[in-house]
Amino acid sequence: MAKNTTGVKKPTFKKTMKEVARFKGVYLIMLPAIIWYILFSYVPMAGLSLAFKSYKAKLGIWGSPFTGFSHFEKLFQDPRFIDSVIRTLKINGGRLILTFPCAIILALLLNELRVGRLKKVLQVTFTFPHFLSWVIIASIITNVLSFDGIVNSAIDLLGGEYVNFIGNAKLFVPLVYITEVWKGAGWSSIIYMAAIAGIDQEQFEAADIDGASRWDKVWRITLPSILPTIIIMFILAAGNVMTKGFDQIFNMNNAAVQKVSQTLDMYIYNVTFNAKKTDFGYSTAISMFRSVVNLIFLIAANTITKKLGGNGLMGGND
Amino acid sequence: MGKHKKNYKMRFQWPDAIMLAVLVVLALLIVLPFLNVIAISFTTPKAYADTPLLLFPKVFTWENYETLFQDGRILIGYRTSGKFLLMAMPMNMFLTTTIAYGLSRSGYPGRRFLLKFVVFTMLFSGGIVPLYLTIKSYGLIGSMWGVALSEGINTFYMIIMLNFFQSLPESLVESAKLDGAGEYKILWKIVLPLSKPVISTVFLYYLVDRWNEWYNAMIMVRDTQNTPLQLVLRNIVLDSQNLDNIMTESVEIFTFSAGIKMGAVVVTVIPVMCIYPFLQKYFTKGIMLGAVK
Repeated sequence: MAKNTTGVKKPTFKKTMKEVARFKGVYLIMLPAIIWYILFSYVPMAGLSLAFKSYKAKLGIWGSPFTGFSHFEKLFQDPRFIDSVIRTLKINGGRLILTFPCAIILALLLNELRVGRLKKVLQVTFTFPHFLSWVIIASIITNVLSFDGIVNSAIDLLGGEYVNFIGNAKLFVPLVYITEVWKGAGWSSIIYMAAIAGIDQEQFEAADIDGASRWDKVWRITLPSILPTIIIMFILAAGNVMTKGFDQIFNMNNAAVQKVSQTLDMYIYNVTFNAKKTDFGYSTAISMFRSVVNLIFLIAANTITKKLGGNGLMGGND
Repeated sequence: MGKHKKNYKMRFQWPDAIMLAVLVVLALLIVLPFLNVIAISFTTPKAYADTPLLLFPKVFTWENYETLFQDGRILIGYRTSGKFLLMAMPMNMFLTTTIAYGLSRSGYPGRRFLLKFVVFTMLFSGGIVPLYLTIKSYGLIGSMWGVALSEGINTFYMIIMLNFFQSLPESLVESAKLDGAGEYKILWKIVLPLSKPVISTVFLYYLVDRWNEWYNAMIMVRDTQNTPLQLVLRNIVLDSQNLDNIMTESVEIFTFSAGIKMGAVVVTVIPVMCIYPFLQKYFTKGIMLGAVK
């Protein structure tokens, strides 16, 4: 525990223990949570060692014998795995370009709106879907877009052709983006609304005196002022590029779109929980790949955020 | 929000009209699917087939809900989710509050290490496969306890709470210590009463998360008598609907009509709608406390 012993004056072991005794109440109050972290976060992390073992159900996660890197050799020759990684990066990279700006645009629109009461009503509406699970959202979307759903009925009334939205591999990824915006843009816009609310009003007043147009003010005052927030949110989103969207894709998935919905997490699910015979060692190797790559992304995101003066994920708690 | 001074150019101009129109259309895109779902759930299948653009029940009926509840799975879902909330919520709140409080205190050896120990779990995790095998090795597979325990602390929410505790004046805790109060007493009698906003926020976050729980339950509890509501909904709606979409002809071979399926959606959404006013009140606070900080 005595990690802080790097100073010039090394506190003796005895002194540290005295301090520990003085604060024993604090340690005691944290003990249940610390045990929880060990049992349900760190033990599973250690369980990743299974990636180097050949899993035997009888011997369990800890007793199974080591096999070295054989799972990883197999992994990097598994075309379905490589496909799933590329697909994940493509789909989630697309989110950064296509869905990420939507919340900013929504916040700007809401902010420019000059009808106070209605603004509140609109915001309440936009935020609501955030609190529903993807199970519910996918049910609603599937209903609305099905063959006899309201969208196809409207298309029919307007004289158009029926569109197979749900069972169409070409439309799957666009639908993923659209539904993400549908569910989350309202919630994500709150943070930008807050950033906008924090802008010094004198800037706008000065711009008014100079005769700036509304567009000028948005482009030259509002957007530059919230740029730090935008950058931080973008980097954090980029850090999640490996793991984002499993809930969503899992629930929007169906037999017709299976080829385009196999992201890395979907692949892990399928080879682990959806297979007739599961090789847990191999599954764990994929899990490990995912965790390590994700860690690299997050650390990169964190480092960049800190360089830019933000607090990063680690916060400023030290 | 948006505290523009009201003394300059508040005339309603044509850009306002366009923006208002755009926003109202967007809002309708959210509201209409819900109305559609509700309307379908209260309409007879025949009336639904005859009225394609259904936004309010044409031929009002409780029939769908009667069939839905006769099926029994929804009740199992409510029961399981209710029990699950009672298991998980006290644990979530207890573990989160105690460690947030402990970490908000300062001056004791190992605090920096503990912070790193906790924050590291936000950056790195074993993922679902080792988690599943760990829960299995604890003998918790098949029980909602396994699910509840695997989600004991959300470190992000914990940090929101920690930040709030740290913003409280330290002298409060110090003087209580001088009076000889123990840590639990300080937390319970002094810190918590001053932290109602953050406690409410984190409580509601956990409540929504636990209510929306399905994935870990799907993997860890494969028991039809012990299925949370979200999963029941998934079973009722998605499986049969997927079938529906694979087939190009609309042959009705599944047992549930659209009305019943949408009824299942409605009964799952209603509890969230009921607490939505509270969520409204607190979520902005939470996002401020946590996200950009």
